Amino acid sequence: MSKPNDLVQGTLDLLLLKILALEPLHGWAISLRLKSISGDVLQVSEGSLYPALHKLEQEGWITAEWKQTENNRRAKFYSLTRLGKKQLESEAANWQRLSSAISRVIQFSEG
Amino acid sequence: MRMEHWWFTARLRLRSILLARRVERELDEELQFHLEHKIAEGIANGLSPKEARYAAMRAMDGLEQRKEEMRDMRRIHWLTDFFNDARFAVRSLSRTSGLTAFVVITLALGIGMTSATFSMVDALIFRPYPVPHSSDIVTLASTTHDSNLDDFSYREYLDIRGKTKSYDGVIANAGMEAVGFSAEPGATPRVRGGMMVSGNYFRVLGVEPRLGRGFREDEDQVPGRNAVVVLGPDFWKHEFASDPGVLGKTIRLNGTDFTVIGVAPETFPGMLVFGHPDFYMPLAMARVFSTNLQKNFFEDRDDRELIVKARLKPGTTLQQARNELAVLAQNFESEYPKVNRSRGAAVYTQFETRTREDVNWKFGVIFVILALAVLLVACTNVAGLLLSRARARTREIAVRLAIGAGRFRLIRLLLTESLILASLGGLAGIAIGYGVVQWFQSFQNVIFMTDLPFSIPFRMDTRALLASLALSALSALLCGLAPALQSTRVDLVNALKSADVDVPGRKRLWGRNMLVVAQVSTSLMLLTASFLMVRGFQNTLLEGTSFAKDHLLMTLFDPRLVRYNAAQTQQFYKLLAERVRVAPGVQSEALTQNIPLGIDDFEGIAFVPDGLQMPRDRENFNSTMDTVDEGYFETMGIPILRGRSFLASDTADAPRVAVVNEQFAKHYWPGGDAVGKRIRLESRAGTLVEIVGVAQTIKYQGSIEKPMDFVYMPLAQHPVPRMVLMLRSSGDPLQLIQPVKDVVRTLDPNLPMLHTMSYEDYYLNQAVEGPRIAMKLVGTMGVVGLVLAIAGLYGLVAYNVSRRTREIGIRIALGAASSDVLRLVMGKGIVLVGMGTVIGLAMGFALEQLMNSMLFNAGGVDILAYVIVVPSLFLVTMLAAYVPARRASRIAPTQALRYE
Repeated sequence: MSKPNDLVQGTLDLLLLKILALEPLHGWAISLRLKSISGDVLQVSEGSLYPALHKLEQEGWITAEWKQTENNRRAKFYSLTRLGKKQLESEAANWQRLSSAISRVIQFSEG
Repeated sequence: MRMEHWWFTARLRLRSILLARRVERELDEELQFHLEHKIAEGIANGLSPKEARYAAMRAMDGLEQRKEEMRDMRRIHWLTDFFNDARFAVRSLSRTSGLTAFVVITLALGIGMTSATFSMVDALIFRPYPVPHSSDIVTLASTTHDSNLDDFSYREYLDIRGKTKSYDGVIANAGMEAVGFSAEPGATPRVRGGMMVSGNYFRVLGVEPRLGRGFREDEDQVPGRNAVVVLGPDFWKHEFASDPGVLGKTIRLNGTDFTVIGVAPETFPGMLVFGHPDFYMPLAMARVFSTNLQKNFFEDRDDRELIVKARLKPGTTLQQARNELAVLAQNFESEYPKVNRSRGAAVYTQFETRTREDVNWKFGVIFVILALAVLLVACTNVAGLLLSRARARTREIAVRLAIGAGRFRLIRLLLTESLILASLGGLAGIAIGYGVVQWFQSFQNVIFMTDLPFSIPFRMDTRALLASLALSALSALLCGLAPALQSTRVDLVNALKSADVDVPGRKRLWGRNMLVVAQVSTSLMLLTASFLMVRGFQNTLLEGTSFAKDHLLMTLFDPRLVRYNAAQTQQFYKLLAERVRVAPGVQSEALTQNIPLGIDDFEGIAFVPDGLQMPRDRENFNSTMDTVDEGYFETMGIPILRGRSFLASDTADAPRVAVVNEQFAKHYWPGGDAVGKRIRLESRAGTLVEIVGVAQTIKYQGSIEKPMDFVYMPLAQHPVPRMVLMLRSSGDPLQLIQPVKDVVRTLDPNLPMLHTMSYEDYYLNQAVEGPRIAMKLVGTMGVVGLVLAIAGLYGLVAYNVSRRTREIGIRIALGAASSDVLRLVMGKGIVLVGMGTVIGLAMGFALEQLMNSMLFNAGGVDILAYVIVVPSLFLVTMLAAYVPARRASRIAPTQALRYE
């Protein structure tokens, strides 16, 4: 996987929380979902996906549960916790502030 | 929010620790699941299975690295690292099992001594009262010129109770005293320990009776009305076999029937350090238990027999309580100038009370200081050994550093080693401490030769165990940190080049030299202290004990047990003395209220020397006193130095007379003769008493007391109910028991003879055995300290020699004589031992001053101690250095150069 497309530091957490806010998913499904939502712009190294999930779990933002998939395999499903919901809200708000500030800066220099 | 977060993470960490394998398996499974899908996706896209597999693995950016990354996310590696370190440490320690054993034993001795002595100090000072919210309990004390922990009288107690607002209840109790107890009215009474308490005692302390109820307030209001008794838990168990039917039963105390209304709980053995009252009676029953016939307990404001305690109201400060009581004391002084002149009052916390009560705690503190010194020597020893060990591992550590181990990580590894050593040492130390405490306990019956419920309170309880564990951790740090810091500060290039390089940097040697100095000086201090203590005991033990102890039978009578009134009591003693004097085998006879070095305290007496101008702020002086009959001085072998002893003619109708001791005479008539002088009892207007004789000063209350003022009164003029009969025999004093029994039977067959035994046995146990145990303890600590120091010094010098074997070999090969080598190796040792001696001397002097001021009150310096201790320590330590040095001087150069 090429590095240039790697995500801005910290944004991966936000994306994962957002994806899991919709429904509980296992790791493979999360990686597919990431790709399908963001298209090819945001490519996540599959290698860094799992450590990121682990970190979120250790922080208590998401929680994992072993369940059967539709084709009857055991898989680790992640879902958002109450803490995670709060974290998502605050990180989303942060992101909004940051991105609007940056776009203002960019527009200013253009204008 | 934080709590919730903590809850989540703690659960996960715990899972990662406890279910490490399962977590690891799940990690594999999860990644495997991902890979399989990825491979399936690749195959679907037209790759061969093999290609698809490679692609999937590549997409992971290194499977194993990712796994490690995820493990780190669990944030428990500090713990897994610790387990790894511990495993490694155990392996490397067991490889040098001899050294490990030595270190563990060394630490165990230090920790064991310290925890045993801590359990002493804890019991004597710190252990909280066995009541709820014990820190709110304060002691109220009357204060005078001579005492800052005097008792209050009953009247004063009632005033304090009524007029203070700082407390949730003010309670009072008399001291525990011998009471004649019989379970059935007809049975012969036995002596048991009873304590009079105020009616609110149990309620204010928050003690819920195990059975029945505590006293009601109204049961302690009318003198003599409510004969009720609450039993102590042990007494109930042993005397009544824990029978719940004891409630409502009648027992006889000092000849009066009492109704049992309750039993105190197991958790409340009483408020005393050593004593555990067998039963509690209301203060209002004082007439049944009073020993002082001259005073009226309920009316006399100067009959001070009560210890007053109170529970501070929440929110009230100690200072407020103190101010309030100080004002009250001033009011007492102006209202009752006769009995309260220059008498103040104080409020003490538990700590303040315990450290004012007696001197035992001071021994405890000195023992702890000495034990800590042993521990310090042990720690320096261990540090020295670890240092040598670390040097032998220089290469291993250098390799570890070279391949990228962090210095902090290595220090952690080395500290883990010393932590394991200290834990083992701590465990063994706790065993030793437990043994020492058991040893103390074994003297229970020796020290308390009495029927009263006393026990040795030293225990290895949770508090002592916690202290031992803290000590172990502390010593791990003390022993381990210096070697760890030093051995990780190595010069990599040099260290890797040879097995054992010593770059003789000043800094490195400084540390080890300091160890030697610390060891020598601490053990010198330890030895000096033990020596001084032993000598101090011996001196004070021998002083003033020239009275007779052998061929004496003692037995105690208390006619109150059979309800004699004062006149009957007097008649009984008169007849008893007359008849036993002529009994077979009796050489002489004496009656005394109290025996020297007995368990009961002597009574106090207030007086004014007649014709002496009293200082303005004093109403009278105080002294201790005894009531004796005319045979006492002769029978006890106490010389009358001037004047005369008591005579049969000193009857109740004759002029009042007294004999004082030499200390008293010197105190009040320095340079003059006390005989013929007169004192007035209580005040300037009191009864005149003429001093007719001066007796030699002896020991009265304890074997290490300072010389004290003492007054003797004749029994006929100062009647007391309880007396000890002392009989001098020509042969075995126990042979006299039967003749005395016969005499008593003719007088009153129901009257029990109590504490009947040979006075010599009693004296030896009471006065000699206690201090002897203390001397043994101190002596042991001194010897242990010395042995450890010698072993440490020997080890250090021997190690130095072995390190320099090659150098010495070269010197010898180049023509150095063995004396040169000896000088080379010994020279440093002499300097270090010298430095240690100087520092140790200074510490010894300081400790001597402390001990003198605390215990023996012997000023000045005990030169003999230093004359003996210093040279012997110097010699012994030099020998420890000489043995390895001598070996060095005999090194064969060919062998030394091949060494390695």
